[in-house]
Amino acid sequence: MSSRIHPDDRSGGFSWHPPPRPFVASVDLRIQPADTSTSAGAVDWNRQLAHWPGVEVRTSCPKPNRPRAISVPIGRPGVSVRSFVFAQPADTERAEAAENLPHLANQGAVGGKPVAAQLSGSTRIKPPGDVIKLEDRLHYILQPSLESLLAEGSLSFPFHPFPFQFEGVAFLYPRHAAVLADEMGLGKTMQAVTTIRLLLRRGELRSALLVCPKPLVTNWQREFGLWAPEVPVMVIEGDQSRRCWQWQLPEVAVRIANYELLCRDRQLLESFDTSGRPLVQFDLVALDESQRIKNRSSTTSQVVRSISRRRSWALTGTPVENSVEDLVGIFEFLAPGFLSPEMKPRRMGRTISDYVLRRTKDQVLRELPPKLFRDAEMDLSPEQRESYRLAEGEGVLRLTEMGASATIQHVFELVLRLKQICNFDPATGESAKLERLRADLEEIARSGRKAIVFSQWVCTLKRLAGALRSFGTLEYHGKVPSGRRDAVVRRFREDDGKHVMLMSYGAGGVGLNLQFANYVFLFDRWWNPAVEDQAINRAHRIGVDGPVTVTRFLMLDTIEERIDRILQEKRELFDTIFSGAESHRKLGLTQQELFGLFKLECPGGPIDLAA
Amino acid sequence: MQPSAKLAEMHSISIVSEVGGPMHSRDANSEHALGFLTVMEHAQHGLFGGYLLLNVAGRPLEFHCTTPIKANRAQEILYGPTLQSFLYGEQIGQTLLDKAKTAPCFVCTDQQPALAVRQYVSAPVALVLGEEEPPDDEAGQVWRVDAAHRGLAGPSGPGLLAFQLGRNRLAVPCDAEDDRQLVAERIARLPESFAESFDLCEPFLRIREAIEEAQKAVR
Repeated sequence: MSSRIHPDDRSGGFSWHPPPRPFVASVDLRIQPADTSTSAGAVDWNRQLAHWPGVEVRTSCPKPNRPRAISVPIGRPGVSVRSFVFAQPADTERAEAAENLPHLANQGAVGGKPVAAQLSGSTRIKPPGDVIKLEDRLHYILQPSLESLLAEGSLSFPFHPFPFQFEGVAFLYPRHAAVLADEMGLGKTMQAVTTIRLLLRRGELRSALLVCPKPLVTNWQREFGLWAPEVPVMVIEGDQSRRCWQWQLPEVAVRIANYELLCRDRQLLESFDTSGRPLVQFDLVALDESQRIKNRSSTTSQVVRSISRRRSWALTGTPVENSVEDLVGIFEFLAPGFLSPEMKPRRMGRTISDYVLRRTKDQVLRELPPKLFRDAEMDLSPEQRESYRLAEGEGVLRLTEMGASATIQHVFELVLRLKQICNFDPATGESAKLERLRADLEEIARSGRKAIVFSQWVCTLKRLAGALRSFGTLEYHGKVPSGRRDAVVRRFREDDGKHVMLMSYGAGGVGLNLQFANYVFLFDRWWNPAVEDQAINRAHRIGVDGPVTVTRFLMLDTIEERIDRILQEKRELFDTIFSGAESHRKLGLTQQELFGLFKLECPGGPIDLAA
Repeated sequence: MQPSAKLAEMHSISIVSEVGGPMHSRDANSEHALGFLTVMEHAQHGLFGGYLLLNVAGRPLEFHCTTPIKANRAQEILYGPTLQSFLYGEQIGQTLLDKAKTAPCFVCTDQQPALAVRQYVSAPVALVLGEEEPPDDEAGQVWRVDAAHRGLAGPSGPGLLAFQLGRNRLAVPCDAEDDRQLVAERIARLPESFAESFDLCEPFLRIREAIEEAQKAVR
């Protein structure tokens, strides 16, 4: 008996087949004589068989024990598959359009080796949190590294970017709403330019508008020329008819405009054609120094928000200057209603975490020379002290007499008056700060180094220019025509006899690269630390060849000392939002606090001090 | 915040199918597509398969992933040592490759059992080997093995024939020796710098990330 195992294609396993059924049969034992030689024996044998009782042989099989078949299901369940197919950018209409842009196609390797030969690393583009659908997220996850994408486009760079700068590009690339809030000096401009370049090359962008403060327009032009030489850039300028033509000119990849100009062209920017489409629209609007729109009710903010666009980026080193309202203002441009001023700083920090990329030099540029702070605390000269005492006494008395009619403006006037006395005595011109500054500059000039001196007043800078002429001073402030400012910077960089640049916070606070200066003096203090940081980081940035020493002048027992305490609180507010740390500090400068500088009382309520 | 549909439109994404029958219409002009097949083992859910098709620039053309499968006890007993090849190669590999719209010029895998998928596809299948550690002897002496002899024994595993192509170390089963030549020929047809510069290990990281993302989406 045998059984066989057959493969069973249907089940994917095996089955067992039983043997044939058993049987019972009679057997005839008689021998049939076949030939003569055996016939005698056979006859005898057969006779014996026939003899009584005879023999009948019956063969029977016992009732068989039927084997039990056990089926073991192995099974081959079907495997479910999810499938996704991705169109290649080269197939898209947008990419074709990008290739058709003048100067854009196949000119990426200008001025250097292809990036593939230069770059290594594997910076991955991750899907933003607001991309919900799985197929959209996979689109990003399955892309090759950023370095590969750049290599694919044969893009070259004048300098090898830092890894954190690639991370910045990878952050901006997929985002429709983003704040690049790196500390000043980490190359926000380069990161934005490179991302725009890559998006243009990949056909995901056709028109971008870059908005920046007026003094920075040439800086952006220069940066585009450096980091994206093949990208056509147009600066919006000239009279109204020219600007109108420039706004509507097709086939311009990047336009650069300043904030003031946007306000002047508001009507055009908010107009629609006969079919109801905006006359001017962009795939991307990027705001440099986006703290300019922190006040939601300002004209600048309203105009910027009205521009038709698909992507919105904000670039700023100081997303919070005074209060959380600043950040709310920026997010009104990025995603209206996403933040509210009532949010607690910690919650706000969590809410914005996927939209904001903030790196400090300490985090990413460990090789950058340190920034050394020293607070130069001084006493007023006797003449200054007397003037200060009189001014404060009179001012406080006046405010007290005004009682409830005293406004914040009155308090400001007194603060400014006292701060000016801390700089120079109005009667004698005495200045303890100047004496200290002169002593420091002598040493700096002797060592062949350069210094930047910041003040909030042009008149103070003018006085310093006269007093410090022997050190080779240059001036950079609101009274210097914008057309001459680049030349001033160039001379400061190239002229070995020029050791001191006198700058106002307003004009010299943003966008300038002065990394050849190793000393920064804050002759007087600004209202918020963010602006001070911006000023300091003109010098402390990539390319600086040694430590940067920052000297903050502070007159003891004066309004400056009291303001310094408030600045410290503002720094802590910033840290709370961008580090998630717990803080129970007050969020900003209230009227009560400002009046409190003079131990006066006033009706409460938050105020927004000018940046 | 931004509607996903808008984003999808922006990036020209289209879903061919989510669950369904095989897609038989193969792209005839697919000789520059590379297939990457891997299987991930999850302690709780079982095996997840992923198959990624890339163009020579490393950009994704298609992605297919399976729901998790687990061998039952009967399979474990009856398939014995062939179980992994069955699951990786036949159950997962064949199913995934059948779903693809684009036929690859060759298929890479980083899982040796998945080489069993070779009997179901016309394209050669190669195992991508990671960076090889130079073997140390007891005295701490480092011995370097030339590429030609690496496949004869040791790190690439028994029954494998290892070889070097550009920056990548590959292996094919000894009983599919012709695939070595076939892979080399097909790589030679790709753009010149491909073999030197393309890292064949890297796409498997993407597949794993994508499978994890798909898992998260299910949860």
